[in-house]
Amino acid sequence: MDSLILGKYLPYNTIVHRLDPRAKILMMLMIMVAIFIPAGFLGYLLIAIFAFTGLMLSKIKIKSIIKAFKPMWFMMMFLFVINVLEIKTGKVLVEFKWLTIYDDALFQTLYIMVRLLLMITVTTILTATTKPLDLTLAIEDLLTPFKVIKVPAHEIAMMISIALRFIPTLIEETQRIMKAQASRGVDLEEGKLKEKIIAILSLIVPLFVTAIQRAGDLANAMEAKGYIPGAKRSRYKQLKMKAMDYSLLGVCAFMIVVLIVVGQVL
Amino acid sequence: MSIKFEKVNYTYSLNTPFKYVALKEIDLDITPNKITAIIGATGSGKSTLVQHLNALLIPTGGTVTVFERMISSLEKPKKLKDLRKKVGLVFQFPEYQLFEETVEKDICFGPKNFNMEDAEKRALDCLKLVSLDPNIKQKSPLDLSGGQKRRVAIAGILAMDPDVLVLDEPTAGLDPKGAKDMMNLFQSINQTMKKTIIIVTHDMEHVLNYCDEVVVMDKGRVRGKYLVSDFFKDTSFLKELNILPPSVIRFKEELNACGFSIDEKVEDIQSLANAIVKVVL
Ligand SMILES: Nc1ncnc2c1ncn2[C@@H]1O[C@H](COP(=O)(O)OP(=O)(O)OP(=O)(O)O)[C@@H](O)[C@H]1O
Ligand SMILES: [Mg+2]
Repeated sequence: MDSLILGKYLPYNTIVHRLDPRAKILMMLMIMVAIFIPAGFLGYLLIAIFAFTGLMLSKIKIKSIIKAFKPMWFMMMFLFVINVLEIKTGKVLVEFKWLTIYDDALFQTLYIMVRLLLMITVTTILTATTKPLDLTLAIEDLLTPFKVIKVPAHEIAMMISIALRFIPTLIEETQRIMKAQASRGVDLEEGKLKEKIIAILSLIVPLFVTAIQRAGDLANAMEAKGYIPGAKRSRYKQLKMKAMDYSLLGVCAFMIVVLIVVGQVL
Repeated sequence: MSIKFEKVNYTYSLNTPFKYVALKEIDLDITPNKITAIIGATGSGKSTLVQHLNALLIPTGGTVTVFERMISSLEKPKKLKDLRKKVGLVFQFPEYQLFEETVEKDICFGPKNFNMEDAEKRALDCLKLVSLDPNIKQKSPLDLSGGQKRRVAIAGILAMDPDVLVLDEPTAGLDPKGAKDMMNLFQSINQTMKKTIIIVTHDMEHVLNYCDEVVVMDKGRVRGKYLVSDFFKDTSFLKELNILPPSVIRFKEELNACGFSIDEKVEDIQSLANAIVKVVL
């Protein structure tokens, strides 16, 4: 469970870490949009250069991205098989008795792979360089305009921040229950399938029980400290957009425009 | 029948930016059939050390040998069940250990996993051993008081009948009488069944009164292993370690500071009284 890198904040102090979290969220959204603009491999190359520059600058190990991508290999293979069977356009690559593979099938699969890889990269940059708390502040700010249509921006942000805060706690909790069970003879790694299922069941029940207890305690503690949902609150940490943030947002917008143009020309 | 640490290192969250070296170059032998105390300041690595005894933690360097089983960083250990039957570990925080729906089920959990017979009877016996009312056996362990949780946690390990009993601060959260009863229980287990007992504690009175040997930990290292009878003699060393000696030892020291010369072995009120009588008469 120590390998849970995706979505984990890395405590460095790089340029990317210092960017305004709102700018980072907006940039991530813009790049996500850009990824879905059909502009061929040239377009992806452009996004990839941008994304991997961010990756390098934020000191994230490429290894961790590859690790996050690993579970998707199976899906990719599956997709490839379906594409091969379904897509019958483009040039013929291979002809083998009843099976013909067209190059479009290959390209489609490759496109999807590249898109996924880019999306993983971008989201990893965001979560690895932004403290969860800053992230929720930013979400709250970005949602504020929607208060007009009754979106409870603050409550949503509070819920997200509590959920994020408790992910590591729950992981620790899981590890400690596993330890307790292991020291009393549960063998999670080598036991028979039936034993494993029982072990996992006896892991889930206490996990839920403690999580619910914790939630109750937390609610009480918040009330004891005078927390009222929806009350007007001031904020200790003020976010401030700097020139760097604006210019990077500009770069992203420009990239989208370029991609649209490239897409039209192709 | 021995437990041996050789050049053991342990790093939490290895290979991440959060890595923390908790144990450094530990060389240690635990004497079989004795009661060994492990002492040291908060954060010195005591809990980390004892979790190596039943291979809950695998050293990131060096080897731990328990009952001829060698656990090292080099190979992923397999079939640890036997080892865990032999070495019972009571966690520092009882909440860390209780997870079943009822007290009875929780105590039976170990014996059942090791296919021991009459788990329920064992559970009842162990409840009595740790002086708990058998009527609580249908309660949820999470609804008990801190002291009761502690007792249930200890009962759950006693029920497994391990050869080595490892207790991480077993008396924290118990009232003084309860703590004393508990220590007496461990002592009788050690004496009647010749089991090796390892106790992490902050209570020097317990070290003096119940333990045979003491291991001192300091910032992730073992400072040394001493016989309890020798350990409390060297008061300047105790001062250096920031340890307040047990009250009978302090009493003797103060008497000596006032001009008496008691150099007899003093380990409880009786022997202190005898020593004083000897000097005064
Ligand atoms: N799961 C963990 N992840 C990272 N670091 C940890 C973890 N558990 C313990 N540590 C660190 O390792 C060091 C030793 O911890 P340990 O629990 O062994 O101390 P201890 O001697 O038992 O202290 P105490 O007397 O307070 O129980 C501490 O500095 C602690 O912060
Ligand atoms: Mg501890």
